[in-house]
Order: sequence, then C-alpha cells, then structure tokens
Amino acid sequence: MTVLTDIFKSTLPPPTRKSERWKYSPISKLLNSTLSTDSSEIDGGFSNEIAPNPVEGLEAYRLVFRNGKFNHSLSDLPIAKGVICMPQSEVSGEDVPEFKNTYSKTEWVGELNESYHQDGLFLKIDRNIKLDRPVLIHHLTDGKDVASFPRHFVRVEEGGEVDVVVWSSSTKNSSGMYNGILEASIAPNATLTLEKVCNEDGKIYHFSHENIIQERDSKFKMHTFTVKGHWVRNELEIISRGKGTDSIFNGAFLPTGNEHVDNHTTMDHTSTDGTSSELYRGIMYGTSTGVFNGKVFVRPDAQRTNAFQQNTNIVADRGASINAKPELEIYADDVKCSHGCTVGQFDLDALFYLKSRGIDEKAAKALLVEAFLADVISSVPCTELREEIMKIYKERHGW
Amino acid sequence: MKGTEEENLLSEVTEKNYEYGFTTEIESDTIAPGLDESVIRTISKKKNEPDWLLEWRLEAFAAWTKMEEPEWAHVAYEKPDLQSISFYSAPKQKKELASLDEVDPELLKTMDKLGISVEEQKKLSGVAVDFVMDSVSVATSFKETLGELGVIFCSLGEAIQEHPELVRKYIGTVVPQRDNYYAALNSAVFTDGSFCYIPKGVRCPMELSTYFRINQAGTGQFERTLIVADEGSYVSYLEGCTAPQRDENQLHAAVVEIISHDEAEVKYSTVQNWYPGDKDGKGGVFNFVTKRGICHRSAKISWTQVETGSAVTWKYPSCILKGDDSIGEFFSVAVTNNKQQADTGTKMIHLGRRTRSTIISKGISSGESQNSYRGLVQIHPGAENARNFSVCDSLLMTDRCGAHTFPYIEAKTPTAQIEHEATTSKIGEDQIFYCQQRGIEEEEAIGLIVKGYAKDVLNKLPMEFAVEAQKLLTISLEGSVG
Repeated sequence: MTVLTDIFKSTLPPPTRKSERWKYSPISKLLNSTLSTDSSEIDGGFSNEIAPNPVEGLEAYRLVFRNGKFNHSLSDLPIAKGVICMPQSEVSGEDVPEFKNTYSKTEWVGELNESYHQDGLFLKIDRNIKLDRPVLIHHLTDGKDVASFPRHFVRVEEGGEVDVVVWSSSTKNSSGMYNGILEASIAPNATLTLEKVCNEDGKIYHFSHENIIQERDSKFKMHTFTVKGHWVRNELEIISRGKGTDSIFNGAFLPTGNEHVDNHTTMDHTSTDGTSSELYRGIMYGTSTGVFNGKVFVRPDAQRTNAFQQNTNIVADRGASINAKPELEIYADDVKCSHGCTVGQFDLDALFYLKSRGIDEKAAKALLVEAFLADVISSVPCTELREEIMKIYKERHGW
Repeated sequence: MKGTEEENLLSEVTEKNYEYGFTTEIESDTIAPGLDESVIRTISKKKNEPDWLLEWRLEAFAAWTKMEEPEWAHVAYEKPDLQSISFYSAPKQKKELASLDEVDPELLKTMDKLGISVEEQKKLSGVAVDFVMDSVSVATSFKETLGELGVIFCSLGEAIQEHPELVRKYIGTVVPQRDNYYAALNSAVFTDGSFCYIPKGVRCPMELSTYFRINQAGTGQFERTLIVADEGSYVSYLEGCTAPQRDENQLHAAVVEIISHDEAEVKYSTVQNWYPGDKDGKGGVFNFVTKRGICHRSAKISWTQVETGSAVTWKYPSCILKGDDSIGEFFSVAVTNNKQQADTGTKMIHLGRRTRSTIISKGISSGESQNSYRGLVQIHPGAENARNFSVCDSLLMTDRCGAHTFPYIEAKTPTAQIEHEATTSKIGEDQIFYCQQRGIEEEEAIGLIVKGYAKDVLNKLPMEFAVEAQKLLTISLEGSVG
C-alpha cells in the first residue's frame, strides 16, 4: 500500500500520539492516504461553488490560489508606492525571501512544506506606508486527494501598516491536505493585522503555521476563526524580539459533527516591557473534538512583561470533548502573567430568563452563542469580514 | 526592594546550610550494591515473605527492565546509577521492642535533634509515631489503643506477616506494578513502609504519623505505603521527612496507595524536607514518588503537602474518583531554593457522577530554582455534573528562578464544569511599602506576605504539622522570610 510518507519524503518522522505536541491530534488516517500535488498546467477556471472573493462586499487586494497554484486572472494586486505585493513565483533576484523559522527543521509538517512548497504571497510594506485596503489571500482546494503547500512571506518596515486576510475554502467533494506556512516580521513601530479564516467543506487535513517576529514597539493583532473544517490544526508562534511590543491574538472555533479543531499558540517574550493578550473561545457540538494549547514563555531578561491568556470552552453535546492545556513558563520575576481556562455549558439561568420573556429556546441559545463569540469577533477591524464570519456561523448552526 | 538589600538577603539565604544534616551512627545490615533478580530474592527472603509476593516482585522487575526512565518532566539531572546503590539496608535488630523506652538511644537523640521528642509527642499530642529509620520500622507506638478499635497501623513488612490477606487484596490495585518506571522499580525492591487499615465505621481517634528518614549512606529508599479506609471510616495520616546531609545523590522512589471505600475519608498530609543539595546544587535527594488514591461512592481523599526539600522532585498525588459523589482534594505549597527543581502537581480522574475536585497549588521559587506545576483534570463521559476548581499561583523571589504551569484539562461530558486559573507574580513592592509604613521591617513584611500567600494550604494541615510546616517555610526562605 502506498502511504503518504512514500509520496512525500522527509527526514523527520510524522508525529504520533506519543509526541507531546500532537497527542490530542492523531494524523494516522491522513498518513494512510495517497495524495499528490496538482499537476495541471491550466491557469484560470475556478469552482462554481465558491466565488473568487469569499467575503461579499469586502474591498480588498486579492491573491487567489487554486490547489496551491497562483491564479492570475482572478487576482487583483495593488499598485502602490512602497508596496511590493506579488506571488512568490514571480519574485526574482535579491528579493527572494529567506524563511528563517525553524519549523521545517523540527516538525514533519514543516519539513514537508519546505520540500514541496509551491507558491505564496510576497508582501513588503516600506517605511511609514499604510496600505489602504486589506490584502486577501484566498486559497481554494477543489481536487480529490490533493496536497497543497503554500508559503507566505510578509515584511512590514518601520511605521508601516497592513491588514492581511488568509482565507481557505474547499468544495464539497474535495479531499487531501492543506499545509501552509506564513512568516511575518514586523519592524519597530509597525503594525500587522492578520485574520485567518478556515471555511472548508470536504475532507481536508488543514495544517497551518504562522510565525511572527516582532521588533521594538511593534503591534500585532490576529484572529483565527475556524468556521468549518474536517480536521484543522492552527499553529501560531509569536516571538517578541524587541522591547515594548504589543500582541493581541484571539480565536473562535465551533466544530460540529465529527470535526476536529486544534489550536496551538506560543507567545515568546524575549525582551522587556512587552504585553500580550490572548482569548480563545470554543463550542464543541456533535461528537467533535477541540484542542487548545497555549504557551506563554517569559525569558530570563523579559522583565515587566504583562501576559494574559484566557480560554473558555463549552461542551454542548454528549460525545463532544475538549482538551485544553494552557501553559506558562516564566523565567523572570518582575512580571504579571496569568491564565484562565474553563469548561462549562450555557448559563441555564440566562436561558431561562430569555425564555420567560417569550424567546424560544433556539433563538435564546443563538443569542447566548452570539454573546459568547462577541468578545472575539467584535475586535475584528473590518466590518464586512466580521459580518461574513458571523453569517457563516449562523447558517452552519441554524440559528 | 533595593538592589543591595536584596543581594544581602539572597546571600544569607543561599549560604544557609542544611540544618538537619547530621548522620546517626547505627550498625546496619546492608546488602551489596546493584540490582538483579537475585537481589529481589534476597530482599524477599530476608523479609521472610510469602511466595505470592516474591512472584509479584519478580513480575514488577520483569516489567521494569523493559521500561525507560521518563524524561517528560521539566527537570534536568544526572540519572542515578541504580547499579551503584544498595537496595536493602536495615538497622540490626537487637531484640524485640515492647515500648519506646527500649529504642536505641542514638535514635531518640536523632529525634530530639529533629525537634520531635517521641515520648513527649506520645503523651501530649496523642500522635502514634511509626518511626522509620532507613527501611525497617523499629518503633511503633499507641498500637494498643488503636488495636481496641480494630485499626491496624504497622509497618508493611509486619502486615505482610500478620495480615497477608489484606495486603494481597489491596497491594497494587491503585498503583499497578507496571504503572511507571519508578513505581515498577519500587514494586520490585520495596523494603518496607507503612500499612494502615481502618475498619468499617471507625473514626480513627488520633492522627497516624510516620517519620521517614534516609539514613544509611548509599542506600536508596523504596517505601511503600498502603492505606485502606473501609466503609464510613475516617483517618488522618501524616508523613514527614528530613534527611542528613550527603554529597552523592540519593534516590527515593516511594509508592503510596490509598483505598477509600464508600463514604470513607482519608486525609493525607506530607511535610517533605529532604536534603536539597548545597547552594551549587551538589548532592541532594531525588524524590520520584507515585502517590495515588481511589475513591468509591461518596468517599473523599484529601492530599495536603508542603514541599521544601529534595534536589529534584517528581511527584503527583492523584485521585481516581470512581464512585458517584466522591471528592478529591489537593492542597500544595512547594518551595524551591538554590538549584532545586520541582515538577509537582496532581491528577484528578473523574469517573463517577457528581464527582468534585479542588486543586490549590502555591509555588514559591527562589535562588536559581525551577518550580513547575503539572496537573491533569480528566472528566470521563460518564462523569455527569462533575466539577473541578483549580488555582495555581506562583511567587517569584529572585530574577534567576523560574515558575511554570502545565495544566492538562480533558473534558468529555457536556455537564462538566471546570475552572482553572493561574497567576505568576513577585511580591508587590506596594505591599511591602504598606507594611513598612506601619512599622513592619522589610524582612518581616516579606514573611508575612509569603505566609499569607500559603495560608490556604497551611490551614489544611493538622495542628501538629502546621507548626512544623511554618518552621520549614521559614528555614527554606530564611533571609527573605521573617
């Protein structure tokens, strides 16, 4: 039998249940599948099911990838002074980015991405340039047993500002693996806002890894929404390299059926006076499984760090489960670090209150879910995006 | 705190030598270092054990040889060479002891140095002391009083001789032989420990206490404690440790098993102050302990621990909440100083309906030590309406120490409620300032704040222990604590 490791060779072994980082997210089923990368030469054409612009009414620059390959005709690139925004396959000479993160040296998933990566975004914002619209990367998977390995690179120079949206979708009959990496570095006083949305039909194993490096007084804000996905693993790693950085990263996941959603985050404070705030909320429906693992490191010299982490979960149905592991590793003393993690259910008193005022149970529950998600969703700066995400959540769960 | 003052305090703390570091000279009966099947046969023979127990030990040994030493804990140390330690050491029995007065005067002197006079304790505090000097119990008090109620409190070796049916029924039921590397090792080579049985409906009138000491140079300690509380009974059990100063690392791999039957309650308190090594991290005890209890219907197990000693600690007192409405509790203060490393916490396994657990863990790190909390809260699908509440706080005293939290939360039922929170901070300068304003010296103020910080746990200790625990906290952090 042909297995995945025969097709995609690697020196690192695939993770097993015994690997601490993967103990709640087994991938044995994926390993038994036979996948290949998209080999068609045709540029153009898209699925009938999904529009090239996934967010109605959102005015954004757009890069469309289909099964990992860049699609020119559907993309809309910015032409602005001080902005380089193009597919990596078209970057030449000195500009070709060098990926610095160690993910490809330490993890099987990372190594595969490095060995087989196809294309991705190359975005560079010059000093004090603020891009007027968000840059939207839309990744579509519409093949059977297809593997795609996108790799994106973002650099924001001093004082620059940009908003990037990474949206992945797939058709109902699709299957395979999405293995994407995004590497960003943010120069002093620059700001990067990142929204990552996974809205995939079909049976895709979705691995994504974001590696963010923050320099002095830079700001980073990120939202991770898993609105739909058969098997999803979101990994976010933020390294604060300069003093006074500010990092905000929130996420929401509402798996249903037998879906699996895993959120791994690492916040690494290596310098002084940094602040970080993390909020992840999950509701597990059906027989789904959710995973949350949040790590906060405060290195020996990172004095006056202020780190906060919160993870709130609801197990909604019998058969659903959540595995949460909020971790703190603190090596400096003048710090304020805390985390909170809860597992519970809908507040019965609140439900009763709403029902006693003539709101039926379904609507009442919807209202409570909306309130539960509000803290995460309301901080998304872009209105259209915010509304679209809420809309999909609502349609999905029939509120 | 001002830089220089802090340095002064710090140097005082770090230069503080281990107060209880003295060795008692008693003739010992020690077998040659090393471990193989013949060693296990020798131990079993020396202790005149029945065949089933020897078989049981050999099974454990066979399992152990296939196991690897775990490396997942957040500690770094040189693995002990098991072939260089002696697995059996017993003070030479001179004659049968009828009362404490006949105990070797050397032993009594040791106890005096530790601050506990056995006789005084016997008279004043009503505590029965099963004094374990190295691996064999040499003195047990209050046996008669307990005997009237049907309470069995003796060394495990004695229990194997006199109550083999009880030992056979319960041993290994909570911590199986192949549970983990050190539990398997313990099952193979355990020399002695305590055994305690409380019959149905009996409320044990006094606190049962064992004073463990590691004494013989080059001897690993493999204690095994078995506590069985029958239906509706209650017992409070105390375990305390101090060890003499040594230069080579000593290994301690104990196993504690608790069975709490329907509606029974067991309160297990520990004060642990083994030799932590000197300020450069030389020497010190390795403490790799497996402690676990099982709760049947409406039963309760409460673990309270004050950990100040050992170079490396690896210890997770756990509760399996099997019966409906059962309760598990874990209260812990762990203090690390100099180069100590502690990876400690608890596991609460919820199986029964309406089971409840509470975890309160307070870590205090000083010097260059690393202090980790590692815990697991697991709610199985059948554990409807299970409830857990956890608080893990860490206090950092210097800028070179570390405090870490690794909680695992696994929930598989929609009616479970779990709350976990953790904070890490240093003593607030405003708190110290407030105290100083009111005429309290800085050092005293720090002491006040630390004691207040650990109060939630110290309050759970039995009176006799609370005093000692306070003393240990003070000694461990002397210089920064008043």
